[in-house]
Order: sequence, then C-alpha cells, then structure tokens
Amino acid sequence: MSRTILDLHVLQTVPPSNINRDDTGAPKTAVYGGARRSRVSSQAWKRATRMAFDDLLDAGELGVRTKRVAELLTVRIQNIDTAIEEREAWTLAAETVQAATGSKIDVPKRKAEAAKKNGQPEPAPESAYLMFLSARQLDALAELAVEGRADIKAFLKDNKKRAKELADTRHSVDIALFGRMVADGADVNVDAAAQVAHAISVHPVENESDYYTAVDDENPDEETGAGMIGTVEFNSATLYRYAALDADLLRRNLGEGLREDEPVTQPLRRAVEAFVRGFVESLPTGKVNTFGNHTLPEAVIVKLRRTRPVSFVGAFEEPVAPGDGHVRKASERLADYVGQVEAAYGLADDTETWVLRVGPSTADLADLGTELPLAELVTAVGTATAERSAPTA
Amino acid sequence: MSALMLQLAGPLQAWGSAARFARRTTENAPTKSGVIGLLAAAQGRDRTQDLSDLTALDFGVRIDQPGTRVRDYQTAHHLDTDRSMPVSERFYLADAVFVAAVAGDDALIDRLHEAVRAPVYLPYLGRRSCPPARPVDLGLRSGTGVHEALESEEWRASTWYQRRLRREAAVSLPLLVDAVAGDTRADSRRDTPLSFDPLHRRYALRGVRTHTVEVANPWARGPAAPEHDPTSLLGGD
Repeated sequence: MSRTILDLHVLQTVPPSNINRDDTGAPKTAVYGGARRSRVSSQAWKRATRMAFDDLLDAGELGVRTKRVAELLTVRIQNIDTAIEEREAWTLAAETVQAATGSKIDVPKRKAEAAKKNGQPEPAPESAYLMFLSARQLDALAELAVEGRADIKAFLKDNKKRAKELADTRHSVDIALFGRMVADGADVNVDAAAQVAHAISVHPVENESDYYTAVDDENPDEETGAGMIGTVEFNSATLYRYAALDADLLRRNLGEGLREDEPVTQPLRRAVEAFVRGFVESLPTGKVNTFGNHTLPEAVIVKLRRTRPVSFVGAFEEPVAPGDGHVRKASERLADYVGQVEAAYGLADDTETWVLRVGPSTADLADLGTELPLAELVTAVGTATAERSAPTA
Repeated sequence: MSALMLQLAGPLQAWGSAARFARRTTENAPTKSGVIGLLAAAQGRDRTQDLSDLTALDFGVRIDQPGTRVRDYQTAHHLDTDRSMPVSERFYLADAVFVAAVAGDDALIDRLHEAVRAPVYLPYLGRRSCPPARPVDLGLRSGTGVHEALESEEWRASTWYQRRLRREAAVSLPLLVDAVAGDTRADSRRDTPLSFDPLHRRYALRGVRTHTVEVANPWARGPAAPEHDPTSLLGGD
C-alpha cells in the first residue's frame, strides 16, 4: 500500500514571552538532553491552528464545538421550512442528534428551574458536553429532521443508521485533522489525522521573573508608592516545532468526490494547505498583549514521505549553546542531522522536501529542498499531496 | 522464537495504566498495553479488532535512561460561552529512553517488524502528542526470548547521560519482564490489553518481575575508584 505522510518542521524564535503557562503562571518547561527547555504544549498550538482556519477556510468546511447543538439545528430546520415553530424544531433537533450520536439532549435542569422561578418559558435543550459537528453534518441532520417531522420518534427508529451515517461522513477539516470524541457514541468518533508534538526550545532556558509596579493615574502626589505590584514570569526561546500528518487518514476522514464539479482529492488538498499554513503562521495567544511576541518562523521544512513520519528533535538533544543567537547553530545542526538520519535509514530517496527560510543564519538549510515563499510552498505541498493520493488510472 | 527490539525515546512520553478522567498519570516505564497498542496501530488494526495474538507475546522493557516526571496543567474553555471546563493534569516522562522487546512466533514477529518500519497509523509514545525522536525499530534477535535479548542489548541512553555516568564502567539497568506463573515475587499491573474497543476497553492483570542487568558504559574512564568503606575501621560485623 502506498502511503503519504507529511512532516512539518519549524524553527521559530520568540522574544521574552509567556505563550503557554502552568497553574503558577510560569511558562511551561520540560527537561530534554539533561537541560531544562521552554515548552509550548501541543494542545495550545493545535487550538491556535484551529483558530487560524477561520481565515483560511469557508465556514461550511469547519466544525462547531458546542453544547447548543439543538439551537443550531433549529435555525437550519427553520431555514428549510419556515412553518415549523421553534419549540417543535427543538424537539426535532434533540431527537435527531440523539439518534445520530447516542448522546442525550435535554433541557439543563438548573436552567429549567431558573426559568420556571422567573416565570420564563422553558429554555432550549442542550447536550451534556461539547458536541463537535461539521456545518455539512448539521445541514444534513436538519434535512433528516424535517423529513421525519410527522412522527419523529418512529421515523428515527427506522432511520437510526442513516442518522449515524450523516454524523459520521463529510467531516469538517478541523474534525478530520484533530479528531472527535463522543463519549456516549464511540462509533461516531473520528481518529485525528494530525499529530502535533510539544514545541521545545533548542537551547537551555531558565524562566525569568519581571517585577512590575503600576502607578495610580489619579494620585499625582509624590511618594505615594505603587497602586499595585506583581510579577510576571517569562522566557525567550528558539523553538523546534514538529507535526506529522497522515494524508491517507485525512482523506478517509474528509470523504472524497463530494461535489460533481471538483476532483476527488480537492477536499484533501484544501485541508493540507490550510493545515500547513495554519500551523506555520499561528501562535498561541497567551500574554501576547503583555509581550507583543508576534513573530513568524525563521525556517520551515516540509517533507512528504512514503513509509513513516520522522521527527528531527534529536538534532537538539544536545542543547545549543548561546553564541550568535540560536538560529544559526540550530540551522547548522538541523541540516546536518537531517542528512545523517535520512542516509542511515535509507529515507532520502522517497522524500520530497520544501524549504522556507529567512535571513543568512538559516543558510545551511537551503540545500535540503526546493526553496519557496510561503504562499507558493503551501500550493506546492498541497498539489504534491493530492497527486500522490490521486487514484492511479 | 525471536524477539523484536523497540527503542522508545523522545522529549516526552506517557504510559498510563491507571489513568482516568482529569488526572492522567504515567508509569515509570512503558506498559504492555502501550507497546501492544503501538504495534497494533502500526499494523493498521482497528480498535475493535482481535488482539489475542499480540497479547500472547512475551513482553519486557529495560529502563536505559529513566527521565524525569513533568506535570502538565491544562485548561480548556467552551468556544461558545468561554466558560472554563474542568482543568486536567497530565503527567509525562521527559528525556527518557527505553528498550522494549516482544518475543514469540517467528512469522508474527517478522510481520510486526515490517509494520514498525512502515506503520499504517502514525506511531506515538503513549500519547498522541509524543512522537518518537529516534526510529522505533531496533531490529530482530532470532532464537532468543525477551530477557536474553534485553540483557545483551547495548546501552541506548543518550550520550550526555552515558558521559555523566563515566565513572561507572558497567551500569545497572532495571529490567521489567512478564512474570512466569507462580512467581511470588512479582508485582501486578493491569496493563494486558484484552480489547481497545472504545465502547469497552478491557485490561487484564499482568505479573511483572523486576531484574537488573549490567551494561557496559562506552564512556567509562580509567579504573574505577578504589573500594573505600570508612566504616570498616570501626571493626565488628
């Protein structure tokens, strides 16, 4: 079986910042190669990537993660048939989602009691936890609900399989990439096609503490002391970020050939392009207004492989020593390590590589692959992935 | 019988055997369920597929570099209301290196070896956010069981760690293997996977026996320090 796996490697420097902090407010860390490193959790960066999709993809290709799934479905139901009253639509919606996902959709007890006390009508039903459904799945479920309007319970009893299928096909790009877990309906779970590692600094890092005072603007007297004092912890780091993408699984999750007028690999291509761009350009927003650490990566290496993903974090197991910054040394190390690993394991021949890099300190990475600016790199990667996954005629 | 040797090294790994709900802990060494899961995923088995052939394999793991424990504090917010959800704690092993071995029927071990080199699902070290930093595959050892194979395997700890122990010409490593029936000195752990079916995951107890093995330190320097026991001057016994 021919496989298509995409590896993304990013070197990115962030100045003093605290983009991902623990419960004491300190930037997260981990020990690697015997030295303490700055760390940004994979969850934080996945969320930042998902938020970036809002600007990269059509809303119809994204999912909604909410408890208010009945209300969302109600809007769609009423769009199909304006004659359906809100209350009836709520019931239709609740029953349909329940059949499709196995999760109970009920009016939350506390909200119902509060409404009763205040003499308000009963509120809309909700799911007990966040439901992640794609816009297309919601549309399809609304149609099903309207179809069974006459006697929804009996209709769904006969059409339970259809309802399940609607919730389990045509996944949005974010669900296909990052997965979905439905606690009560494991058969509609989606395995994530993307794997994102915790970003770690290529060099040792000690967190520093910034002691600050805030002045009271309305107290102009001298010697008044501070209106407030506090500390903020921070560090600065050159991060190695890594993600792997299983293009075959992504394609299965997305479904293919959904529209007559587009090639079967078009959904895959759009998703791959959005992921590469979103992962490269996004940054978790923690304390960003305090530190203004809006940087972009110094280097991006994208590899398309046939057998297995390969992380290059081993290049930085021995921490980079401070000198002329960290990027030059990190680039040298990375270029050297990539060559060695691929030669040792015979991986070089089946790998296509693209490189984006900034400035003279990343010069060593130039020879690793085809150098392109971001927009062209994204298109090239998307095209190559789609071509590799295209059915051979 | 032959053994498949696996190297499990990365900045972070997590091997839970009793982790539930919002507190996801990790053991100090890879679990049988974790490694069997890695192999099943490499072969492309679905979660509901039968595992009995893999569960029947002998399993052992050697702690080449113990690493340190990291606690990760994680928050989440509702996207629609921005209210916060229960915080969760995740524990990881940072900077650890393990060698794991599975042994059994030659044909099955051969198929697993192939799968590890070209895995169907992306491999990870116990948790999806923990990709391996080195190739997982260390090759086959034919005609040996888990214990012998792990005993004769070279020390896979990182160079910096080996150098740190350069005063020791031979280093003792903990070795955890499946206990034989009736071994009264075995610990038990609920990490034998019976089914990964997300509707009903099931694990059986496994007896684990801890040994130590000695490996040579390639960075050992000069003769070991002379035996020095100041309390011997006090005499007595």
